[in-house]
Amino acid sequence: MRFPRFVSLFALCAAAGALPSPFAMAADPVRLPVLVPVTGFLALEGTSQRNGALLALKTAPDLARPEVQDTATAPETAVNAFEKALSAGPVPAVVAPMLGTQMLALLPLAAERRVPLVTVSGTAQITEQGNPYVFRFFPGDAVVKQAHARFVVEELKATRPAVIYQTTAYGQSGRQALAEAFKRLGATVAFEEGVAPTVKDYRPVLAKALEARPDALVLHLHAGPTALAIRAAAGMAGVPRIVAGSAMHQPATAALLEPAELKGVCAESGSSPISGGAPALEAWTEAYRAAFKDDPDAFALAQYDGTMMVLAALRSGARSPEQVRDYLARSTHRGLAMTYRSDGKGNMAHDALIICFDGKDRTPRVAKRYVQGTS
Amino acid sequence: MTLLQLGVDGVALGAAYALVAAGFVLALNASRAVNFAHGDMVMAGGFLAVVLAGLMKLPGIVLLPFAVALMALAGVLLAAVAYLPLRRQPVVAVFVSTIAAGIMLQNAATAWFGAAPRAGPSLVGGGVVALGPFALGRQALAVIAVAAGAYVGLHLLLARTQLGRRLRAAAQDPAMAAALGIPVTAMTLVAFALSAALAGIAGLLLSNSFFVTPTEGGNLMLKAYIAATIGGWGRLNGAALGALLIGLFETVAATLVSQVAAEALLYAALLLILLLRPQGLFGEIAGSRA
Amino acid sequence: MRDALRRSLVPLASSLLALAATAPFVAGGSYGIRLLTVAGIYALLALGYQLVFGHAGALSLAQGAFFGIGAYATGILAVRLGLDGALTAPASILLPAALAALVAAPVLRLESHYFALATLGLAQLALLVAINAEAMTGGANGLPGVPGLALLGVAVAKGWPLLAVVWSAVAAVAWLAWRATGGRRALVFRLLREDPIAAEALGIDTGRLRFGAFLFAAAAAGLAGALHAHLLGVVSPEVLEFPVLVACLSMVVIGGRARVAGAVLGAMLLVHLPEALRDIGAWYMVVYGGVLLAVIVFAPNGIVGALSRGLDRLVPGAPAPLPVPVAPPLPAPVPPSRPVLSLRGATKRFGGLTALDAVDLDVAAGEMLGIIGPNGSGKTTLVNVMSGLYRPEAGVVLLAGARIDGEPPFRIARAGVARGFQAPRLIDDAGVLDNVALGVREHDAAPGRAMHWLRRLGLEDVARRRCGDLPGGLRRRVEIARAMASAPRLLLLDEPAAGLTPQEQDTLARALKTLNGEGVTVVVVEHAVAFLAALSTRLVCLVEGRIVAEGPPGCVVRDPRVVAAYLGARWQGTEA
Repeated sequence: MRFPRFVSLFALCAAAGALPSPFAMAADPVRLPVLVPVTGFLALEGTSQRNGALLALKTAPDLARPEVQDTATAPETAVNAFEKALSAGPVPAVVAPMLGTQMLALLPLAAERRVPLVTVSGTAQITEQGNPYVFRFFPGDAVVKQAHARFVVEELKATRPAVIYQTTAYGQSGRQALAEAFKRLGATVAFEEGVAPTVKDYRPVLAKALEARPDALVLHLHAGPTALAIRAAAGMAGVPRIVAGSAMHQPATAALLEPAELKGVCAESGSSPISGGAPALEAWTEAYRAAFKDDPDAFALAQYDGTMMVLAALRSGARSPEQVRDYLARSTHRGLAMTYRSDGKGNMAHDALIICFDGKDRTPRVAKRYVQGTS
Repeated sequence: MTLLQLGVDGVALGAAYALVAAGFVLALNASRAVNFAHGDMVMAGGFLAVVLAGLMKLPGIVLLPFAVALMALAGVLLAAVAYLPLRRQPVVAVFVSTIAAGIMLQNAATAWFGAAPRAGPSLVGGGVVALGPFALGRQALAVIAVAAGAYVGLHLLLARTQLGRRLRAAAQDPAMAAALGIPVTAMTLVAFALSAALAGIAGLLLSNSFFVTPTEGGNLMLKAYIAATIGGWGRLNGAALGALLIGLFETVAATLVSQVAAEALLYAALLLILLLRPQGLFGEIAGSRA
Repeated sequence: MRDALRRSLVPLASSLLALAATAPFVAGGSYGIRLLTVAGIYALLALGYQLVFGHAGALSLAQGAFFGIGAYATGILAVRLGLDGALTAPASILLPAALAALVAAPVLRLESHYFALATLGLAQLALLVAINAEAMTGGANGLPGVPGLALLGVAVAKGWPLLAVVWSAVAAVAWLAWRATGGRRALVFRLLREDPIAAEALGIDTGRLRFGAFLFAAAAAGLAGALHAHLLGVVSPEVLEFPVLVACLSMVVIGGRARVAGAVLGAMLLVHLPEALRDIGAWYMVVYGGVLLAVIVFAPNGIVGALSRGLDRLVPGAPAPLPVPVAPPLPAPVPPSRPVLSLRGATKRFGGLTALDAVDLDVAAGEMLGIIGPNGSGKTTLVNVMSGLYRPEAGVVLLAGARIDGEPPFRIARAGVARGFQAPRLIDDAGVLDNVALGVREHDAAPGRAMHWLRRLGLEDVARRRCGDLPGGLRRRVEIARAMASAPRLLLLDEPAAGLTPQEQDTLARALKTLNGEGVTVVVVEHAVAFLAALSTRLVCLVEGRIVAEGPPGCVVRDPRVVAAYLGARWQGTEA
């Protein structure tokens, strides 16, 4: 395990909201639309996104002010919100929703209107459209699923993992990345099945997975379903080590389960703010708790970092969306979770980590860090 | 994991669904209209259980009467705003008023409790009960027992009491019932209260093992609708049986084939049933209005 | 002229309302144009749904699925094969319509809830395919990169051009829907959804109407889906999910179920309302639900319903003059040598009960045949077998020598058998003249001939009254007038005297006698022996599904088997 890297003093102070921005401008703050799902199916993740963005914008009220719009579930609503946000005048960038299908609908519009989208959506496809206006601050499936599979194969020495994924955009995209990663690592996927997010009883699919005698159970499910699956598994015999998807790192997921049920469960994520680390990160976590009466997750932190990078762009003098886009595409940003730099496609985050629960409480420990694709 | 253990889980899930479906049918018979907010009422019942457990730190079985009473009140409120003003209007107006009420419930829950799934209280604690060679979930068995108790209670109320007879009379022929001096409006309110109380029980039962999220109402409402239809429109027992079948299907069929295939099979089976028995599995008693 | 002006008031007022509501959005530039485009797409969806749900009264839960299938058809063809809009749009219309046609045969015969469930099952299956057939549909991620609409190589840019195309499509579909459902056809649809059995008995092919409505709805949904795919640039499973159907249903009900303007207004309201409320923040969807609830409570018949009621109050019009009565052409006389209607061994069972047991019966041209019998003797079953509502298990029914058993009721009605029901089945909420006009099959001739029959049955004074407000005797005569308006060879009446006062019975008997005197063949089934004995030229007594006596009324009523059947007790009707 590597020691958490140094994070700038500026971020610490800014997060605590202790210092006003030293770069106070005479000009009015610009509008920064925050288009995220705060109702509907992905409202939990969308709310984290919103909170992260709001916390970042709180550090520079003179630079930019947030304009939150709900994108709900349908791609159409996201596009409506985008058009609405742009109808009131130019904006330097847009904080864009987690939901992969909404991003896919927004991409052509962003290119047409030349506005950079700053998102934490993990869906692989969004940075594969050759669209120069998308910037993803949460490690994409290619990064986290690689880490997910490597931990299973290299650390748990599993050769026959079973994969249970969700039949949603998130799930299907992750399943594909997992299958490719396992193939590269020489592991044989012993069992693979998709489950709808409406399913309540995970015992049937688990029973079938166990019949295939897997040596690791790989979950790639949303928050509630991850908890349902882990609770069901806790009541069954002969369940191998569970390595869940990023939903397991969300404090809301852990809150659904007893610590004992979590014992030995691991999960991938981009970060895990509540696991602690550098003082700056811990200060940020406290600031988040104070502001929203809730524990932060990696999505909130990634969106915070992304929004901070947009603010850094503004601070560097970028004003037009094109200048902000240039800054995001060319600069390196040292955020709280990791250091961000575009790979040329808009993937900004390249680190992933694996967290594990020890069964004593609901706070995971960082078990393994995969930085810039290395170990 | 034997098929028997899965069967118990399936029955527990189905028993909770049966209460959902029975509540749906009660409101249906009283209003002759589909209550599109019924799934959201179940969701509300789940959140109520979460809140009560947070306030009182007692096992679910003790909280149940409080949940029932509060949800019954909610049912009266629902009837008062979304049904009574429209009872002399085209039945489709009630579709939309309950759709609107459902939207309000779902989004109020999101705004109030946040979007995170929540876990409700267990009835009598977790763990397993050894039954010969089988280890059966304590919560699953308790869910089956409570659901069965609630169902028998409902049955006795409707079949054996003066109130039950009046309820049935008011549902069957409101004009005739009114002529006989039965207060039809009050009976409608009682029916909605009972319907919501059942939704509350189901919500509490489901909230522990399966958590509760603000957006799950729509899916529960679809299940109740399917159960009520295959069970014979307006038939309480038929709907409950239909719901049990759906629960078993979700568990057992999903074990035999994949979950996606099981869901496809469920709908294919529905279509086949309708092809062979266009009048539903058990025939129908309610009027031909939707 | 004044009437035409009044009729155009509702569309006019609706347009003004819509314009006023959207003006602030359109002023917002591309955002407003976009919302208006989206609203147009949903208006197409709702216009289609109006036909199947609002007019045909079938709660189809597959309308959202047809929308999604249309979207996927365009998405897959345009992305994977690079086809032009001139090919993909027709494919998006035809594919849902073809699917609808395919499932219509087994599905449309289902009773309302079972129809709803079957369509729900189909919709859920379509959703499962879209999510899980990843290679074709892109799975839950959807299919990105759907190009903008291009017709024969000419690109239709997003913004004003696409808006114009979408609303031209709305205008075209609205015109088609209005042609299919406007004027008198609205009443036909109303009878179809309120009382399909009565509609069939008037010769209305309810199956064909429902089939047409289902197809039209699917085609309109497919077109809407195609335009949606082009506008959004992505097709994902959300287009197939239940909320699309819920939104569509809400639009149709809130706008106005059976008025073209209602679909358009409903779509505009439901698209713009959440946008207008979004700035409220966390609770905006709660407010949205509250507004919907308030609208439906205050306008339960939809915005258009409330609008037209308001306009009626604002601009009270003088009642239009009654149409001039036009006598119908005389029906072709049936050769007296052949009976009008014959039953040979007609048998009908319900489970273990034999309601009709090998009945042989001839109805001679021009006679007034009375059929009596105690309760449960099979009288109504006999009428239902004669009119095709029931299909006999054995035996044949001949109309002027041609077999009609097994034919659907509407065909038998068109062949010249008109009937009344035990309780008159009228559209209570429509006027007397409109109800009677439903009997005339030639649309243009309807008002004149309906007026003719109103005059013949002494109903002129109540021509404008609402049927639901009339006393029993008048309702009965309205139903007979409606049956006569269909120019039948044979008039079947089921207990027409039931529930009438003695005066009403007298009036009815006189009316029937006059009709019979003019050569109309009449069969009357009646429990009240005295009423029928005085009226008929011949009497048949039915007991437990068999004919036990037959002959001149005077003889039959004294027949010991008849007396025994009535328990030798009360002569029903003598004291009534």
